[in-house]
Amino acid sequence: MSQRILPARPVLAGVAVLTALALAACGTTEAPAESAAPGASSEAVTLTDARGVEVEIPAEVEDVVALEWAAVEHLQVAGVPPVGVADVAGYTDWSGTGAPLEGEPTDVGTRIEPSIDAIAGLAPDLIVTVLGADDAAYADLEAIAPVLVLQGADAADPIGTMYADLRLVGEAVGGQDAVETAITEYEARVEELRATVEEAGLTGTPLAHMDGYENGGQVEIRPYADGALLPAAFESIGFVNGWPGEGDAQYGLGVTDVEGLTALEEGTHIVYMTVGERDVFTDQLASNAIYTDLPTVQAGNVHRLPDGIWLFGGVKSMTAYLDALVAALSPAP
Amino acid sequence: MTRIRPGGLALGAALLVGLVALAGWHATQGTTDLGLRELLGWLGGDASHASVIVESRLPRIAAAIVVGLALGAAGYAMQTLTGNPLASPDTLAVNGGASAAIAIAAVAGISLPGIGGAGIAFVGGLIAALAVVAIGRGRGSTTQMVLVGTALALALQSVTTVTIILNEQETAGLYAWGVGRLSQNGIDTVAQLLPIVLVGIAVLLVLARRLDVLALGEEAATTIGVGVGRLRLGTLIASVALAAAAVAIAGPIGFVGLAAPIVIRMVARRIPGAARHVVAIPLAALAGAVLVVGADVLLRAALPGTASLDVPTGVVTSLVGAVCIIVLARTMAGAAETESMSVLGGRTIAKHAWLPIVIAAVVLTAMTVAAVLLGDRLLLLGDVVNWLAGRAGDAVRVTLDTRTPRVAAAVLAGVALALSGALVQAVARNALAEPYLLGVAGGAGLGAVSIITLVPVATGWLVAGSALAGGAIAGVLVLVLVGWRRLGSLRLVLTGLALSAATAALTSMLIVITDPWNRGKAIVWLSGSTYGRGFEDVIPVAIAVVLSLLALTWMHRDLDLAQLDEATPRLLGVRLTAVQIIALAIAVVLASTAVAAIGVVAFVGLVAPHAARAIVGARHRVLLPLAALLGGSLTLLADTLGRTLIAPAQLPAGIMTALVGIPYFIWLVLQAGRSR
Repeated sequence: MSQRILPARPVLAGVAVLTALALAACGTTEAPAESAAPGASSEAVTLTDARGVEVEIPAEVEDVVALEWAAVEHLQVAGVPPVGVADVAGYTDWSGTGAPLEGEPTDVGTRIEPSIDAIAGLAPDLIVTVLGADDAAYADLEAIAPVLVLQGADAADPIGTMYADLRLVGEAVGGQDAVETAITEYEARVEELRATVEEAGLTGTPLAHMDGYENGGQVEIRPYADGALLPAAFESIGFVNGWPGEGDAQYGLGVTDVEGLTALEEGTHIVYMTVGERDVFTDQLASNAIYTDLPTVQAGNVHRLPDGIWLFGGVKSMTAYLDALVAALSPAP
Repeated sequence: MTRIRPGGLALGAALLVGLVALAGWHATQGTTDLGLRELLGWLGGDASHASVIVESRLPRIAAAIVVGLALGAAGYAMQTLTGNPLASPDTLAVNGGASAAIAIAAVAGISLPGIGGAGIAFVGGLIAALAVVAIGRGRGSTTQMVLVGTALALALQSVTTVTIILNEQETAGLYAWGVGRLSQNGIDTVAQLLPIVLVGIAVLLVLARRLDVLALGEEAATTIGVGVGRLRLGTLIASVALAAAAVAIAGPIGFVGLAAPIVIRMVARRIPGAARHVVAIPLAALAGAVLVVGADVLLRAALPGTASLDVPTGVVTSLVGAVCIIVLARTMAGAAETESMSVLGGRTIAKHAWLPIVIAAVVLTAMTVAAVLLGDRLLLLGDVVNWLAGRAGDAVRVTLDTRTPRVAAAVLAGVALALSGALVQAVARNALAEPYLLGVAGGAGLGAVSIITLVPVATGWLVAGSALAGGAIAGVLVLVLVGWRRLGSLRLVLTGLALSAATAALTSMLIVITDPWNRGKAIVWLSGSTYGRGFEDVIPVAIAVVLSLLALTWMHRDLDLAQLDEATPRLLGVRLTAVQIIALAIAVVLASTAVAAIGVVAFVGLVAPHAARAIVGARHRVLLPLAALLGGSLTLLADTLGRTLIAPAQLPAGIMTALVGIPYFIWLVLQAGRSR
């Protein structure tokens, strides 16, 4: 084994294969560009997005790519369902119940690193995403089409941020009317549900919405603190947020462990959502005395909502969330 | 016969007292206001707070102590076993295997009945360590095993990151677990694994006297009549079981299995009798427990209530452990033990050096062309011709405008990291040395993340400059802490390692605190990616590579001598210190600019030089060009596959390098082992 010289034949074969491959790789996949790009229409709009950048958007936007799930929903509401969506399978699992995907958009890769090739291949008129990527990534996207960056979430005014993002999308794609209708419908639904909650005698009931995660036997709880979208939504129909802790400045998410759950006041309802079989609240926590001793748990006030409602979504997701919430808490007829 | 001298006893007693005091303080901390008074009340029979104390406080302190004991003892035994002071549970891929198993189980929805997630971590860690032992078991030297283990650990870490990227929602929380976290859901996990830890430590104590002999050298041990093979196997199984139990309880708690034993080794040298394993293993175990409990106390004292939950304890153990090692390494007198680098360079695989270099150059060229064509959108050469002529259609133009800088970034960063790794290995004379190890890559990453956090609109040059500054500061810091004249010593390796652990910890802390939901940022700056790179991001590393190649053609013979030992080069009239400083300076510039271009990539700088050494030997005239070509090829292949395999989804280059490189590297280690 000490004398290992590469014999000549494999080398020749390699060269032959490379040559063959090189020949096969000749040709083009797209005809050369012949004319200059069409001049910008006179009806183009200029909008200031969440980065503070002025984005010039051509008139009559048709093909839009959405790189975050909230953007997908806003675009559908505005009447221009995206032709490309990041992580279609994930959207279906986590958002598909609240705001089902319209049409059959092309998958453009993950939300973290969407495929520039796939997006360019769709030749969109506009790309909509949410704050978070770095400038280099925006620069690559801007070479394809104007990029409209949404705020996504702001704990200072969660509902207002949701509306503002939706309205920005509406202006960008010329769907202002559809957007205003959707907002009016959402607010009307909120009023109806507020009445339902009132009738059921549930007004003022404290709720604590939380995510539970298990990794390697360890349990982590993420409560939605004041400033998160969900508490703002359910407070608008008459509930109050039963989680006393603080959250981050953007999404209003807190973090705690099982011990921290003892901060919940008696009479609080725990509400959570997960997808599929993983359910920390019925599996891992079922044998933990801190959890089972909680007055909330003793009283049986723990509710799992249906899978697939995006908790950081828009008016459709929030409508589905509030409907599910009221259905779960109302006494059975 | 096993008389324990007072020095060791005193140290042990001091550690024990410290541990008890810390544990008492620890039990009063938590996410509820439940302090000393309630705790004493509970001891006195008041049951009103019993559930919080029994299900949360006590499990956490028990977890901290048991994990610390297990890691300290396991690390000490592994270091004796491998004869390498850098060996630790990470080195044998225990932590990597556990993380990967947890991640895969999370996505696939697998759960083991009865024992749950901790059981999955234990099994994963054990399988990975056994694979390392099976693959890397060499005749004569354990360095092979250490190399295979380190490489496999990086690959398994990549598996974990891949599952996190592709299943963002399902794996939420896994990142924090992967850095090491003590939170417990009841006492069950600790109670199930405690017997394994106790038995593991007992086995090591039984083997202690024979380990003393093994530490003198294998030949000495055989002469005296110690069955080295059986001893090795027993020690290995015991220490791997300990490490796997620790990772099952708390996730991969950073750096304890390395820092605690090293601290005890350095202190024990000054205490007569304390260096014997029967004393040192318990001391290392106690030191591990003090380190874990102390780090957790510190974390929760600094960030009371729920604020501490955002920062995994593993981050703090890394920081505290790093400070300990740096301080002790400075005061260490005779830390000159180094390891021969000839393990993989003794006999080479290829007979002629030029043939592999030519083949590697052809392969890199072919791969570069292929990389430009491959991707989510498959292009043909005609497209490239159109693009070069400026008459390509929009889709092709955009695709090539974004793809070509990524190809360039991958190749150049790979070349830079490989060269940097070869230089660091030559200066440090340690098989595990790489740019990451010197803290340079970590410092550069920290610099880049800091500027991005402080100045959200930071551009390519600002980020590159900041990365270079961070890398340079880390490099200078290492040089100053180690001292100009001791660059070839173990002190360099230890200080660099501590600094790199500290910078990695600070980087994750900065990201977790300032931008907790930004996974993209975390991935780029903790594992490396070419996504979104433009040509302007690549220029600094291109300049660094060209200048370094010029410098290296001038000094490659000095490097050949510098890698041998301290004495030979001086006898032959080489100004060793000057050569080492220049080589390190070049390594710092190369690594920092590479980090600025594609983030912190760990695998290339370690593996490419080793691969080159196995193929053509240790002469830098041939080693450096081949290492550079291999490094460029590896990173490029990783990036191309990452862009292509599961398109339109893509995997970052920094994660793919280890996955792509590991099969080749293991094969190489086996070849080199066989031809000896």
